[in-house]
Amino acid sequence: MASSTSITGLFSRLSLLSRNTTSTATATAAMTSTSTSRLFSTTSSSLARKAPPPAGGSAPKAVRRNRQAPKSENFFRIRTLRRNMFSPAPPPLRMARLRYLRHWTIHRAWQLFRRKQHEAIDKERSRMHAGMYNACEELRKTVGPGSRGEGYLYRVAMEKKGVYGLDGVPIEYARFQTDSPAKEAWNHEWKR
Amino acid sequence: MSRCQAVARPLARQLRPQCAIRPFTTGAARAAAAATEEVKQPSALDLDPNSVLPEFESDLIKAGKMPIGSRRRRVAMRTTASLPFEQLPYQAFQEARAILAADRQEKVAKIQEELEKIALLEKKDAALVKGGQAMKDTKLASLRRYVEQLKIQADINDPLVKKRFEDGLGDMDKPIYRHYAERKWRSYDYRLITQRIKQFNIVPDVLPKLDPVADVQLYFRQSKIPPGEIVDSLISENPPRLRVQVFNKGPRLVSLVVLDSDVPDVEKDAFSKRCHFLAANISLSPNDTSLPLSKIRADDQLAVPWLPPTAQKGSPYHRVGIYLLEQKPETKLDVAKLKELYASRDGFSLKSFRDKFSLTPVGFNMFRSVWDENTAGVMERHSVAGADVEFRPTRVHSLKPPVKPRGWEAKRQGPAYRHLWKYTKRIKGLSNARGWTKRR
Repeated sequence: MASSTSITGLFSRLSLLSRNTTSTATATAAMTSTSTSRLFSTTSSSLARKAPPPAGGSAPKAVRRNRQAPKSENFFRIRTLRRNMFSPAPPPLRMARLRYLRHWTIHRAWQLFRRKQHEAIDKERSRMHAGMYNACEELRKTVGPGSRGEGYLYRVAMEKKGVYGLDGVPIEYARFQTDSPAKEAWNHEWKR
Repeated sequence: MSRCQAVARPLARQLRPQCAIRPFTTGAARAAAAATEEVKQPSALDLDPNSVLPEFESDLIKAGKMPIGSRRRRVAMRTTASLPFEQLPYQAFQEARAILAADRQEKVAKIQEELEKIALLEKKDAALVKGGQAMKDTKLASLRRYVEQLKIQADINDPLVKKRFEDGLGDMDKPIYRHYAERKWRSYDYRLITQRIKQFNIVPDVLPKLDPVADVQLYFRQSKIPPGEIVDSLISENPPRLRVQVFNKGPRLVSLVVLDSDVPDVEKDAFSKRCHFLAANISLSPNDTSLPLSKIRADDQLAVPWLPPTAQKGSPYHRVGIYLLEQKPETKLDVAKLKELYASRDGFSLKSFRDKFSLTPVGFNMFRSVWDENTAGVMERHSVAGADVEFRPTRVHSLKPPVKPRGWEAKRQGPAYRHLWKYTKRIKGLSNARGWTKRR
């Protein structure tokens, strides 16, 4: 029993081997044929420089249709995040002493520069905010044009027409504003 | 060729060094040139691994010195090695230095401004200041603090200052170096000291509160002793040297106490304290850091001379603490009175010493001493009694009632289990396979 199986195994292996050898033989033949038909130049044709594409003029033949879903505006940022999030940390900086000292100097200067930039931006923004606040305060105190009362101009200025879309109202106002939630959160029996 | 290159070509040709006029056959001439090159002697620069040329590399390697860096760098170093660090021609580095210098100018201007404010406020009468004299003092103090902070801020970005500090060449009279030193100390040594204070229970045992603000390092025979180390009694026979670094400005007077807080007291069955060294009126400033205890001999300084710490045989380790206490500014302690008070070293209380002379503890370090083979000799040499005594710990019996033997075997000892007796010999605490183990 065992011997017979081994023999069949042997034969099967033999047959496989023969098939393999034939296939490799054909492959080598094909390779030799290609090699004979090669040109004098030894660089492969794929490496050779291609002629530049014709400028403008005719319509490009192979326009790749973008069949994928349109990319979101954040596509590239997300791709960068994905690539970097799971990659190992970069190796530590290895520097000799003076080089490290130069690196440190540059780093400190960069931090200082950024701090100053942030402070300048903060200052400018708070200046603008204070200006707007003072203007609104002035409006609130003025007695309006003609027969309008005090603060009319302020109320007009604070109107948010068009801020929530044309003729829109903020979604918060879709419900009557209350201090506490309703006793009955949802009326399930309600039918139109 | 681009237009600008075409224009510049004749100019470049002029600038290029003219090649030597060569005869038509060049072979012999080249050979001769090669022959002259072979006899070139290595200069002093070629013997330096930082600037050796490729042809002399092998000689240097044979001499056991590997050339440093690339060949390109070595050639550059031949001419630029003498450039000072701050003038190194790296563009980003120079730009960064320009930014930092501008910032420093700003800080210096601010310091000027604050100093003027201080001068104005000092001149002003206290009655005119809102809040009176107290408010004037507060304002002055806060302005001065701000100026100190600005002084540090002005120099903290200077690479040369950092380099000088790292080389240990910083002048501790300048605030920036003190700032760096304190930061370094707080990053490790301070934490270590506070840990020792906590784990050796210095705080409730010796002083109710102790937060060191000065760096105290301990050296016995030129070797640094980490805080809490057990020191051989032969080594601690001679007084140690302290390296004390204070981080605030100016000279001050300190007093120094070395205190053994674990002296066994047999009569009371307790531990007491013993003063091993006491000195006062020691002048300290940020720049003089070395404080050898053996050099404190002056009459107005040394109150109690050094006694080597010894531990009797069998007693637990003795915590020998070194306490640095700052005196009130410009006040000297009366050393004669100290001598009279603390001539008998036993029963010294650091807390009462602190309260009596209104001192503030600023620095701490400690080591431990145990009985070792040299202790008997040390005690004999310094005529300390008690070398012939050995302490033995008293047996403390458990308060728990005795437990009967438990387990499967112990339960099956009775005659009802006679058939199991050959299996029930291994009872925990009483017996094992080789027989009865409990001593009767």
